[in-house]
Amino acid sequence: MKSIQDCEARKIDKLLNFRLPHYAKKIGWILCLLSLGTILSLKFIDGDWTILKVILKRLILVSLFIVVLAREKVEDERLQHIRAKTFSLTFLFSAIYILIQPVINTIVGSILGKEQDVFQDLGDFVILWFMLVVYLTFFHFAKKRD
Amino acid sequence: MKNTIKVERAILDLTQGELAERIGVSRQTINSIEANRYVPSTVLALKLSAIFKKPVNDFFMLTEDD
Repeated sequence: MKSIQDCEARKIDKLLNFRLPHYAKKIGWILCLLSLGTILSLKFIDGDWTILKVILKRLILVSLFIVVLAREKVEDERLQHIRAKTFSLTFLFSAIYILIQPVINTIVGSILGKEQDVFQDLGDFVILWFMLVVYLTFFHFAKKRD
Repeated sequence: MKNTIKVERAILDLTQGELAERIGVSRQTINSIEANRYVPSTVLALKLSAIFKKPVNDFFMLTEDD
């Protein structure tokens, strides 16, 4: 039984310590900027771009996820500590955002007289986008400060 | 927790970068430790101890807050 527990613990540790190579960070940012640029430029081009927009939105999430998973030049214990702290903060902020944002939408919707906004759930894209951006922002500043 | 790593480093005439390279961390990590912003793990403390050839207690001290 103990060996099974040890094996599971090792697997979890391996998963937690999984990082992409440092150059993946650059690839992630380039992909993200290209996708964002394409989405923005589609606004000025006539046509039905619904499917392409869905694909590009997923690509933005994947590219940001690649940036999150990419290792730093020197990935040491201090950075692992900062990552752990940042993951906790991201979870906390996301939970608060997910709980509060529909209420704010409802209040703003009722003030502006938009009935369709009442208690509308946040989409998966908005939630994941928020989590990834919050993580990257916190990580960037914590890296500089700590 | 406070430390005298900066002094120990000066005794050995090492830069932050050189010390960082010897124990396999980044220069920023050494800077954070020296500024008491980051408390290193036991493994890192023992690596520092091996470099300085002194027990950990000689350059890491508990403060009243600890």
